Amino acid sequence: MEQSTMKRLFSAGAVLAVTLSWTPAMTRSQESTVYGTVVATRLFIVGAANPRTGIFYQHPGDDTTWSHTGPNNIRAFSLAVHAGSNGKVQYIASGNGLHKTIDGGVTWRITTDWRVTEVLWVSPDPTDLNTVTIATAYGIYRSTDGCASWTEMNRGLATVFTPCVIVDRRNSRTLYCATEDGAYRSDDGAATWTRMGLSVGGIRVLAQHPKDPSILIAGTEDHGMYITRNGGQWWTKSESGVDHTTFYTFAFNPRNPDIIYAGGYVTGVYKSTDGGGSWKRVNNGLTCRTIHSLAVDPGDDNRVYAAGHWGGMFRSDDAGESWRNVGLGDSQVWTVTIESN
Amino acid sequence: MRHVSILMLVCAFWSIAAGAQTGKDYLQAYETRARYVTSIYDTSRTGYYSAAVRYAHNHDLAVADSIFRDLLKEPRGDMFWMFPVIGTYMHGKDRMSAETRAVVRNAWKTYAPYRGDTENHWAMYYASLYIAAEEWTGLPGGEWYNGKSSDENRTEAKEYLLHWMNITTTIGQGEFDSPDYYPEYMISMTLLADFARDPEMKLRGRMMLDYLLADFAAEHLDGQYLGGFSRIYQPAVFKPLQSNASAFAYLYFGTGEPSQTGWVVLSALSSYRMPEILLHIATDRSAPYVHKERKRVRNVIRFGKEKNPPVYKYTYVTPDYGIGSLQGGILQPIQQHTWGVRYLYGRPYTTIFGLHPYWSSYELGMFFPEELKPLISDVVSSKSTYNNPDKWTGGSPFERTFQHRNTIIVLYDIPPGTMTEHIDGFFPRNLEKRILDPSGWILCKAGDTYVGWFPLQEGEWVEENVSPGQEKNSIGRPTDTDRTTETGNWRFRSHKLQNGYVVEVRSRREIGSFEKFTSEIRSHIPKATLRPGAVSVAYTTLDKASMTFAFPEKRRLNGSAVDLSTTKLFDGPFLHAETGSQKLTMTYKGMKRVLDFTKPTIIE
Repeated sequence: MEQSTMKRLFSAGAVLAVTLSWTPAMTRSQESTVYGTVVATRLFIVGAANPRTGIFYQHPGDDTTWSHTGPNNIRAFSLAVHAGSNGKVQYIASGNGLHKTIDGGVTWRITTDWRVTEVLWVSPDPTDLNTVTIATAYGIYRSTDGCASWTEMNRGLATVFTPCVIVDRRNSRTLYCATEDGAYRSDDGAATWTRMGLSVGGIRVLAQHPKDPSILIAGTEDHGMYITRNGGQWWTKSESGVDHTTFYTFAFNPRNPDIIYAGGYVTGVYKSTDGGGSWKRVNNGLTCRTIHSLAVDPGDDNRVYAAGHWGGMFRSDDAGESWRNVGLGDSQVWTVTIESN
Repeated sequence: MRHVSILMLVCAFWSIAAGAQTGKDYLQAYETRARYVTSIYDTSRTGYYSAAVRYAHNHDLAVADSIFRDLLKEPRGDMFWMFPVIGTYMHGKDRMSAETRAVVRNAWKTYAPYRGDTENHWAMYYASLYIAAEEWTGLPGGEWYNGKSSDENRTEAKEYLLHWMNITTTIGQGEFDSPDYYPEYMISMTLLADFARDPEMKLRGRMMLDYLLADFAAEHLDGQYLGGFSRIYQPAVFKPLQSNASAFAYLYFGTGEPSQTGWVVLSALSSYRMPEILLHIATDRSAPYVHKERKRVRNVIRFGKEKNPPVYKYTYVTPDYGIGSLQGGILQPIQQHTWGVRYLYGRPYTTIFGLHPYWSSYELGMFFPEELKPLISDVVSSKSTYNNPDKWTGGSPFERTFQHRNTIIVLYDIPPGTMTEHIDGFFPRNLEKRILDPSGWILCKAGDTYVGWFPLQEGEWVEENVSPGQEKNSIGRPTDTDRTTETGNWRFRSHKLQNGYVVEVRSRREIGSFEKFTSEIRSHIPKATLRPGAVSVAYTTLDKASMTFAFPEKRRLNGSAVDLSTTKLFDGPFLHAETGSQKLTMTYKGMKRVLDFTKPTIIE
């Protein structure tokens, strides 16, 4: 596969309501790098002179300053850093397809063609730098040759709209995906899918416990959140303290996974300290109540990021007790991703 | 002085357009119109077309270079940037400076356009990319914005374009018959027809131009697109001649009103010439006819079992008016126009139509991948009328139609709690007559066209205080805002959930005087059943055809069930194409032209 030698794809233009400067990826701090995937800003119109969108990273030590990196204006939905690549291999899931860099963001290439569009989620195989699975509006696709080619992997799925696919932490042949029809599991590297024992449809997101892979949590459209503790066979609705029905995101505290954060449509942030048994809302300072993505900083588990729908990025330094806006204006941040350097 | 000369030019062009156009005449008339279209760009100094026309006409080349380079300092506009840039470049590459050529090339290396999420976006994106990749051959990925080499870009673009042509000529266009998005396809295919180096792609480009023009021509009346549409903005739904498609009608058919919109410039500069047969199909209205089409729904990504369900179009075309419809339901997001009457009289408001103003995250979720609940507010940020209960565009899952010639029955069965619990009918202010007849018919006279509308339920008349303004966003689209005050149009609103109406249209040449029309129609009273889950009507038309229609899909004509699924890709006196055939046959009197996309070849 040919790799581009071009310099960073940059063009001039105003960018959100944040101070911008470009810092080469190689010179960033050795602290964790926080990325926000901005799918749109106000008045996004295809073909218009839209403000810059795509991937932004937060400047270490100046937490309200974000810089754009990578291709601009591609309807970017999420970002993933391939484990084991020392941060060099990254992916952007976008309307234009799946973008990949192998040099830490200096050059990017669209690895998919016209057959693949509306890529909503990307899950690299943590054990294999050549294997990547993506979830799209048209189903699951997988590459096992470093994104040189892609194969549609929808066998067993009743409907193909898949907003999320995740790779099992302990066995990368096992994957889980969210669909309109329900949550599915594959034990053969996405070759075939089997519907898990969750009776509701409209699954928006799945998240796996960082230590016990048999525990998964599912967020749904209109049906609340469900937890399984046996790899997907039995699911229990988690509703103690929950007043909302649509959830887009969950984040486990990596050191104490009994602490879970949840967000969704006008939910603000919910927090559980008993592994999802009960929840309370922690919205102090959170001025945007639709939360599309949450992430706990692996280097400081009191630091939690919340990506707001038209609200920019929020951060809590006290495990969710209080929040403040840390930039990205009033953009629609689809995903927050933290790369542990 | 300038106004006088322009007026004289316009008069001259109109007289040419109005005259008989056959043989060499029609080409001569076309050249005159094409020169008129481009003439303002010979002297204007803004926009890519000011450079493109100077290059094409080989004058003021330094000015053209300057305009072009200035615009390329800040590329923006995604695929709306790609096509004018590559079009301008191809018209001028042999005349522009080396510096300008280098600036253009560099832009395709450094500016990453969004591919978009609609069929027209992809047509523009891949047609432009195809021409660019053929032009700059042999370059590695590092020389392109997407990291792919020239060969990879050309291959991908060609594959998509062939896929689009294939699906369009087998099960129909998805973003079909859009008065506002017609140019995007014409421009894309014009780029191929003019500049593709691959002879097959060049030929296919020309064939698709024939195809798109034929599609329009058969449902055309003096510059107006007729029938149901996949997408239309509010200004053009009221004022049909303001649509972008009408500019192409002027250029190619010599109808409607002269237009110098930028959308039509690359066509006016093109070496493509429309075959004469299409001029006749577009303009010979000596006899009324029924024209049917099969199209397809835009890709359904949620809430549906079929990716591209069929759309069935039915249009009745006469010398004075056209009435056309889609079968109803959600067939396209946001901007569907399910049915309407359009006629010659009374510009600019030459139409009567009705709808159930519907919006929902369910509708949007069928077609867009973003989260359902915020989708409405996201869409409203650019299409502000979407969730307006007074809007005049959009389909509804609770609306169905049944048309036979110049009679249409429209039924509604709206569940309680639906976002809007009313239906609306649009009656323009410039009707000569709008009579609320004791028989129950609303009887309208628009010149020599007569429209009878029988509401199945009671309603109220509301005078329109505002109608959509003409504001355009940065890519030239109407903003759909309600700013311009144009009072006087009328809305007939009914709040009954089980509802509907029968519409009969006739012309003076069909039935005689308006008085005769009104006299005859009074005795034709629909018999309706209007209960939740049981909405139906039986009606005998003025021509004594028996129509019975039970919501949603039971249609019977003269006692026989109507099977829409047998609708061909094109089926009318001028156009014929079997579903799946990739072959379109055009006929007009002794003329015949066949587009065979399987070869591809043109047979005359």
